[in-house]
Amino acid sequence: MDIVVLVKQVPDTETKIRIGGDGKTIDTSDVKWIMNPYDEYAVEAALRLQENAEATVTILSMGPERVVESIRTALAMGADQGVLVNDPATEGSDALGKAKVLAAALRSLDFDLVFCGHRAVDDDENQVGIMVAELVGIPHLGLAVSVELVDGKVKIERPIEGARVTLEGTLPALVTFGGAHAVWNPRYASLPGIMKAKKKPLDTKTLADLGLSPNDVGAGGATIKVTSMELPTERQAGRLLEGETAEKAKELVRLLHEEAKVI
Amino acid sequence: MQPGHFPANIVFILLFVAANGFFLFTVYKLYRIMRLGQAEDRFDRAWGRLQGVATFVLGQRRVINEPAGWGHFFIFWGFIIITIGSIETFGVGLYHGFAYWKFLGKGFTAFLYLLQDVFCAAVLIALCVALYRRFVVKPDRLRYDDQRAANLDASIIIGLILLLVVLLFGARAVEYLLAQGASTRYFPRTAFISVWLSTIFSGLNNETLHIWYSFFWWAHTLVILGFLVYIPFSKHLHLLGAIPNIFFRRFQPVGQLTKMDLEDETVETYGVSAIEQFTWKQLLDLYACTECGRCSENCPANLTGKPLSPKLTIHHLKEHLQQVGKLWLNQAGALEKLETFNPDGALSRTLIGDVCQHDELWSCTTCGNCMEHCPVFIEHIDKYVDMRRHLVLMESNFPTEVQNVMRNWETNSNPWGLGFATRGDWAKGLPVKTLAEDSQVEYLFYVGCAGSFDDRAKKISAAMVTLLNEAGVSFGILGVDEKCCGETARRIGNEYLFQSMATELVEIINDHGVKKIITTCPHGFNCLKNEYPQFGGNWEVYHHSEILANLMREGRLQPVSGMEKNLVFHDSCYLGRFNDIYEEPRALLKSISGLRFSEMDRSRNKAFCCGAGGGRMWMEETLGDEKINNARTDQALTLNPDIIGVCCPFCTTMLEDGLKDRDMEEKVKVYDIAELLVKTVLKEKG
Repeated sequence: MDIVVLVKQVPDTETKIRIGGDGKTIDTSDVKWIMNPYDEYAVEAALRLQENAEATVTILSMGPERVVESIRTALAMGADQGVLVNDPATEGSDALGKAKVLAAALRSLDFDLVFCGHRAVDDDENQVGIMVAELVGIPHLGLAVSVELVDGKVKIERPIEGARVTLEGTLPALVTFGGAHAVWNPRYASLPGIMKAKKKPLDTKTLADLGLSPNDVGAGGATIKVTSMELPTERQAGRLLEGETAEKAKELVRLLHEEAKVI
Repeated sequence: MQPGHFPANIVFILLFVAANGFFLFTVYKLYRIMRLGQAEDRFDRAWGRLQGVATFVLGQRRVINEPAGWGHFFIFWGFIIITIGSIETFGVGLYHGFAYWKFLGKGFTAFLYLLQDVFCAAVLIALCVALYRRFVVKPDRLRYDDQRAANLDASIIIGLILLLVVLLFGARAVEYLLAQGASTRYFPRTAFISVWLSTIFSGLNNETLHIWYSFFWWAHTLVILGFLVYIPFSKHLHLLGAIPNIFFRRFQPVGQLTKMDLEDETVETYGVSAIEQFTWKQLLDLYACTECGRCSENCPANLTGKPLSPKLTIHHLKEHLQQVGKLWLNQAGALEKLETFNPDGALSRTLIGDVCQHDELWSCTTCGNCMEHCPVFIEHIDKYVDMRRHLVLMESNFPTEVQNVMRNWETNSNPWGLGFATRGDWAKGLPVKTLAEDSQVEYLFYVGCAGSFDDRAKKISAAMVTLLNEAGVSFGILGVDEKCCGETARRIGNEYLFQSMATELVEIINDHGVKKIITTCPHGFNCLKNEYPQFGGNWEVYHHSEILANLMREGRLQPVSGMEKNLVFHDSCYLGRFNDIYEEPRALLKSISGLRFSEMDRSRNKAFCCGAGGGRMWMEETLGDEKINNARTDQALTLNPDIIGVCCPFCTTMLEDGLKDRDMEEKVKVYDIAELLVKTVLKEKG
């Protein structure tokens, strides 16, 4: 059994996001990078399957050199090997472009199951996993909160409006993971795990290795473009109104009407 | 069978050799078991170690900190003086004519006999008090999980000593009568108790007296030899364990945990998960334990009903060590490592899980009260942390809420997980420079995570900035470049995370050429001061109470107003017990006019922890019958304070939470010493 987990490196959720000079990307200079939490659930799910069945878990990711750190984190948790597609030409890819790269990399690997988070917490597109399944031509089971192997098939549960639906799919298949930290509680790497991770194989590939042309992907090949980004307005400190109740009510109405312009 | 005559002397020699041989053999076995432990160097500072033995063994310095300890003082010294007498007794057993006066002179012997009588009487009284305490008073600290076995052991010991002294008095009383009118005998009248007791036997003829004397001598001798054989199997093993344990005590700061070697790639296991993975000194600790219970009597976890009693931890470890050791000696033979040794699965009890419970290990706040009060210098905290290290590093097994905190340290270098880039934001608008702006300052104010991220503690940081500026101290902060010191990660057992954090922070601080550091958090203070030298961080580190007290002494800070309030002071564990700083915060508070200062019963080196130490700040407190912070708050509230004075941001949080729980947060306020000082030293700006 070969399980490939697609992992994306994203800014830490506590990072103070600043928009870059072009107004379309974020300034990454003060960003702390982490593994996308939903992808971490996927890694955890793969490792749990590995505990009960003979399985090789491969981490597949794309991006610059810094992504190696996130792959090593997954290897420290217990995954067996990693593959990173590191090519500057992929910079600026839209969801489809990223899916093309990952699908091409997947074809160069053995896989029975492909796991990934249902979305990445940075641009919240909810697309790449599904597109990869389509491009590779395998079924997609979405938003799993549990996964098991039953008689050579993959079985997942997905919450729907407070209830649960159970799905079964033939292999090979791609499963995207939902849930929350409390559902998956991804393991904390042990020290021997961290030590071993340093020696586990990690391949780096370029677009040429995958037989892709730079024109298919990257900013040039993108069919969807970000035109602008804006931050929410900074929250103002609360104001306490002073005086008699009647005066305060009057002042409140005035502020809501003239300053906040909500009434 | 008159002692010292043939064949009685032969019988005595055989018995003596047998008892001593058995005793030595047992001790040798205990020694070999102890040597199963890992290597540790405790052979430096021979002179200081001997001084320690003089103070803490002969002087019983820690024992007599408690009233009950005086009983032990007399039993201990009585034991030594009786042993000097026993040598004479044994001499008589070899040859009936043996007597001290023949070569020590009559004068000295008279003094010795007086001493013996006095101490024998003192021992008798002390033993009666001991029995009264154990069976009538029943203090909490003499509580065991197997009370009957513990009481039986204690009773046997007390009974044997009691019998030994009574028989000794008998022998001496008769000896006095025999010496009357016999030129070959001498028994000084200075032994006034023996002389007085001799009236019981007066009027008996010489022959009957000799029979009585033989009886007393033999009975006394047999009790001594029996005692010798029994010692290593009882809690009186401490007679053998305590003295070397005090000799080999730690000289490193108490607040310094051992640095694990994480570079050595041949190491296969980290932390301690089997008894022989402790060092030999940690095992010697177990032999030294007298089960006096002072540790548990001062343990905040134990006192609030958590499944942790340091005394029982040590007791259980000792039982386990003896079980493992016995099996090993019987079956494995040669001195080799035990890792895979488990004959017929006899060692079904695992160290972590069976001998020590998980909840037991996680209940420790590392407050140091156990170690502070242990008369024989047992090091409890290191054992808990070593086992935590195994759980964290090898098994990733810890309270679930801790995982998030560890991730937060990894990603944002603070336990709250707030963005690392906002670390310096608390100082926005305050008159303070970063070292990046000006590194030519005298002090680095290392603010720490609480002071940087916690809204309550930020006020303490701001107060400190005001005071330092007011006093004209040249200082700066690291601002956004500052990192967490990792103290808590280390105490939780995540040595790997701690070492990576420490290495990083040392580099940052050294890059700025820092020589002196001020901290407001006692945890960071202890860590930077006592632990960072392990990683190349060698600076003068001061807690703000020291700096402020000094500025006050020098007149650079002067109170211009007072406050009419009642204040109770709460000591921080890592400031007091770990770094011996008790006076500075008190001096500061007492300098504020109008402030009525009061102390809780548990203060100074007996101060009760707020409950936040050892990573407990970040764990849910669901066990026991009371939360530690609430218990401490109640102790403070009995003194009707307006203010609880503290000198630690974590104590601040814990006690404020305690006040909220008791619905007292409106009436009583918690303030750091810096905040109180700001209120009184600032001149009214006109």
